[in-house]
Amino acid sequence: METLNDFKNSFQNGNRMDLNFKFFSHLTDDEAADFIEELLARLGTSLNDGRLERIAEHIVQGQTRAYSRPAKYNYEEGPFIRFRKNLSETKIALLTSTGHFLEGDDPAPLGVPNMSQQEAVNRIKEFLKEKPVLSTIPKNTPVTKLKVRHGGYDISGVQADQDTAFPLNTLSILEQQGHIGELAQFAYSFVGACSQEALKKEVQQEWVKLLKQQDVDAALLVPV
Amino acid sequence: MSVGHVARILEDNGIATVIIAVASFKDNLESMHLPRVLLTPFPVGRPIGFPNNKAQHIRVIKAALNRLNNVTDPKTVTTINEQYFSAPSSSK
Repeated sequence: METLNDFKNSFQNGNRMDLNFKFFSHLTDDEAADFIEELLARLGTSLNDGRLERIAEHIVQGQTRAYSRPAKYNYEEGPFIRFRKNLSETKIALLTSTGHFLEGDDPAPLGVPNMSQQEAVNRIKEFLKEKPVLSTIPKNTPVTKLKVRHGGYDISGVQADQDTAFPLNTLSILEQQGHIGELAQFAYSFVGACSQEALKKEVQQEWVKLLKQQDVDAALLVPV
Repeated sequence: MSVGHVARILEDNGIATVIIAVASFKDNLESMHLPRVLLTPFPVGRPIGFPNNKAQHIRVIKAALNRLNNVTDPKTVTTINEQYFSAPSSSK
């Protein structure tokens, strides 16, 4: 017989695999039961008024509860630039951990060319030990040439619209409107589920150099 | 966490940063003492907003970019007042 614990875990790596709800595995049995009870209650209400915001809010609350646990990295202080340039004069780069890359420039994670999304999900623990690879994406890339693969989150949102997490098009609009001075020629993306030690010790200075070469003033960063 | 580390190293090398992240990541991001973070009350995987709601995406990104020169103290984490299913009516 399937237990509640089996049920919770089945969304992360089991027969119900759905990364939208992988957070279930981080909830206690009582929390998971409360979440489902409240979800059904809200669905019942929404059947009468057609409003879905309460459903989204409930999912966000569940994810927040699941991911609110002692942080692994605690820093007492950090670097801070007092930025004084007007946005209309600022050159901005986009960098995300969404796992985007340009068609024909597959980073071939774990040495596997054209890895499927499903394989990335199945091998997520191996990704967490890997050195991250930064993909370079020209800002005028047509959406049809933009690819995404990341085993740590549900990519259906970015597949429906890349700008839900990789807002290159939105930044281009803001550049055209003059809201920002310039969007850097290249945007960057990597799979955030990677070795944090390799990220800190082996690649970050290379990444700084890439952005410096573009002479950017600021970077918009988007984790997933 | 990955993007938090990137923010720290970029800022340390003279490139100002602002992060847009879903509110569920608040605790982890706050603990990393990051320069500027805008949280969105959206589901994981959709930090900028609902697919194809361009007006919402513009509002979120403008709010984040405005933090670049509005924030005068580090470790400023704020949450934007948005609804995930908001109508695509205005980019403000």
